[in-house]
Amino acid sequence: MGPTRGISIVLIAPALAMALALFVYPLGYSLIGAFQDRGGAWTLANFVRAWELYRLDTLYTVVIVGVSTLLIAVFSIAIGGYLTLGSSPLARKLLDWIYRWPLFVPFIVAALCMRTFLGRNGMMNNSFVFLGLMDQESAQSFLDWRGIVVTFVWKQTPFVTLMVAGAMLGLDRSTIDAARNLGASRLRVLLEIVVPQIRRTLAVGLILSFVTMMSVLSVPIMLSGQSPSMLTVNMAWRINSIGDYGTANALGFVSYLLTGLAAWFYLREAVRDKAAQGAPR
Amino acid sequence: MSARLEIERVEAAYSGTRVLKGVSLDVAPGEFVALLGSSGCGKTTLLRCVSGFVPVAGGAVRMGGRDITHAPPDKREMAMVFQSYALWPHMTVAQNVGYGLRLRGVARAAIAERVAATLAMLKLDGLGERNVTQLSGGQRQRVALGRALAIDPQILLLDEPLSNLDARIREDVRHEIKALQRRLGITTIHVTHDREEAMVMADRIVILDAGQIAQAGPPEEVYNRPVSPFVASFMGANNVVRLDAAMSGGRVRIAAGPHNRETDLTAAGPLEGPVVAHFRSEAARLGVIDEDAVDNALALDGRIVQAAYPGGFWRYAVAVGDRQFLVDDARKLDVGLPARIVLPADALHFFSASEA
Repeated sequence: MGPTRGISIVLIAPALAMALALFVYPLGYSLIGAFQDRGGAWTLANFVRAWELYRLDTLYTVVIVGVSTLLIAVFSIAIGGYLTLGSSPLARKLLDWIYRWPLFVPFIVAALCMRTFLGRNGMMNNSFVFLGLMDQESAQSFLDWRGIVVTFVWKQTPFVTLMVAGAMLGLDRSTIDAARNLGASRLRVLLEIVVPQIRRTLAVGLILSFVTMMSVLSVPIMLSGQSPSMLTVNMAWRINSIGDYGTANALGFVSYLLTGLAAWFYLREAVRDKAAQGAPR
Repeated sequence: MSARLEIERVEAAYSGTRVLKGVSLDVAPGEFVALLGSSGCGKTTLLRCVSGFVPVAGGAVRMGGRDITHAPPDKREMAMVFQSYALWPHMTVAQNVGYGLRLRGVARAAIAERVAATLAMLKLDGLGERNVTQLSGGQRQRVALGRALAIDPQILLLDEPLSNLDARIREDVRHEIKALQRRLGITTIHVTHDREEAMVMADRIVILDAGQIAQAGPPEEVYNRPVSPFVASFMGANNVVRLDAAMSGGRVRIAAGPHNRETDLTAAGPLEGPVVAHFRSEAARLGVIDEDAVDNALALDGRIVQAAYPGGFWRYAVAVGDRQFLVDDARKLDVGLPARIVLPADALHFFSASEA
C-alpha cells in the first residue's frame, strides 16, 4: 500500500502543482485582495465602493444572466425535446446537424456578428423592412441588454442542448412510450415525463452556462457600451483604467458569490433527490 | 368494456427489412391471446403495430370496428405493460398508477379513489406514497400492471412483462394476471418467448415464425397437433428422427432401419417416403433391448451416453447411430448401458421430410 500511494502522489503531483499555481493561488490572491487596501491593511472599503458604484450593474448582470439562463433552458428543452420526440426524421436530422454550430464560434466573433445583425441598420431590421413587417423609421437598435441576452442565448443554448439531448436520448425509451400509450400528447410527455427525468443534467448545464456568462467580457463590451454594464466590464475598467485592483477583486468576489449561490441551489436539490431515492427498501 | 381487435394482413418493415409479412389475427372481446416465437420472429413488432409505435406498412388494424391503422399511440385507448415496466422514477406509486386518469381529466378525488382500489386489487395497499425506485421487481411489475388497468382500457397489451422476474415469483404472477384478466374480461395480447407461460395464461396461442403466423389455436391443440416441424420443435418436440414411411391398411408402416425394426403405427396419414418424426423427451420411455416387442410404438436401439437429474426424473442422452436423443425416465440407469427408446404412436409428430 505504502509504495503504491507514494507513486500515486508522484503521478498526480505535476497536475496538482499546475492547478495550485494557475488556479488556487490567483483565486485565493484575488479573494484576499478584495479585503485589503492598497497598503495591504484589512478593510471592507472595496465592498463599500463596489456597492456605491456598481449595485445597479450587479442587478443588471443578474437580470441579464438570469433571463439568458431561463431562455437557454426553454430553447434547450425545446430542441432536445424535438430531437427525442419529433415525428419527422428529416427535421430531426437537420436540427441535430445545425444546432451545434454556435458552439464553435468564439464569444468575440458571436458579439461581432450580433452587432451587424441587431444594430439599427442591422440585418434583422433590414430584413423586417424588406419583408414589409415594419418601416425604416420605427427600426431601433437592439445593441443594449437585449443584444447581450440574444448573444448569450445563441451561444450557450447549443452547449446545454448537447447535454440535455444526450440525457434525453439516454432515457429508457419505454418510459416515453408508456406515457404516449396512456394518452399523453408529445408536449405533455416532454414536460411531465422527459424533463423531470433529466432535470439534474439540465441543472448542471444551466449552472455551467450561468458561470460562463458571468465571466464573459467581450460580449457586453462590444454590444453595450453605455452604463449600466456587466460586472466583467466594470472589473476590466477598474483594473485597466484606474489600477484599482481592490474594487475589481470585490466585484469578482460578488460574481463568485452569485455563481456559488447557483451551485448551492443545485447541490441542495441533488442531495434531496438522492435522499428520496436512496432510502432502504 | 373490452373490444374486438382485428389485425388484417398487417405488414411492417424496419429500414427496408420486412419484419411482418401479412399477419391476420382476429381477437374476440375478452380473449387472452399469446404471441409466441423466438427472437426476431416479429411478435413484439406486431404488438407495437397494434399499439401504434411502429407504423403499419400495409394492411389494417381495427378495434371495435374502428380503423386505427394510422392513429397515433395516444389516441388508441389501449394500455401496455412493458418488459422493463417503464415506471416513471420521478413519481410515486400512486402518481404512476393515476397518471392515465390525470390525462383524462378525472377529478383529483376520483383519481385517488380509483388508485386506491387498483392498488388494493394488486395487493399494493400502503405503498402509494413510495417512490417506485424503492420497490422490488415483483412490486414494480404490479405497479406497471396497475397503471395499465387503472384507465379501464379496452385492450391490454403485455410485452414480456414477466421476463425480468425471478422464476419463483413468475409462476405466481402468471396465475394472478390470468385470474385478473378473466375477472375483468379485458381483451389481452401477451407477447412472450416462454412456451410454458403462453400455455398457462392464454386462451389461444399464436406462434410466429419469420413474420408470419406458423400456427394459431388453443394451447392443447398447438401442443398436441403441431402443423409444421417448426411448431413441433418450438413446442418442445426437439428430438427429430428420420424414417421411411408407407401406408399399409390404414396404418403407417415404418420401414426397418439400422436401429429400428419394421413397425406399423396408428398415425394421421397419408405418409409416403422419407419423413421426420418429432418427439418430446417426456413422451418417450426407455426399455431394455430384447424385451418383448412393443405394440403400436416405434423402438430405437441405442446406448446411454449421458445422464442428468433435473428433478423428479432422470434425463438421458441416448446415442442411436450418429444421433443423440434426450429421453426422460423415472429409473436411475448407468451410463454405457444399451437402451431402447420406446415411442408410442401418439408421441410422434410426423412431417414429410421435404417440410423439414
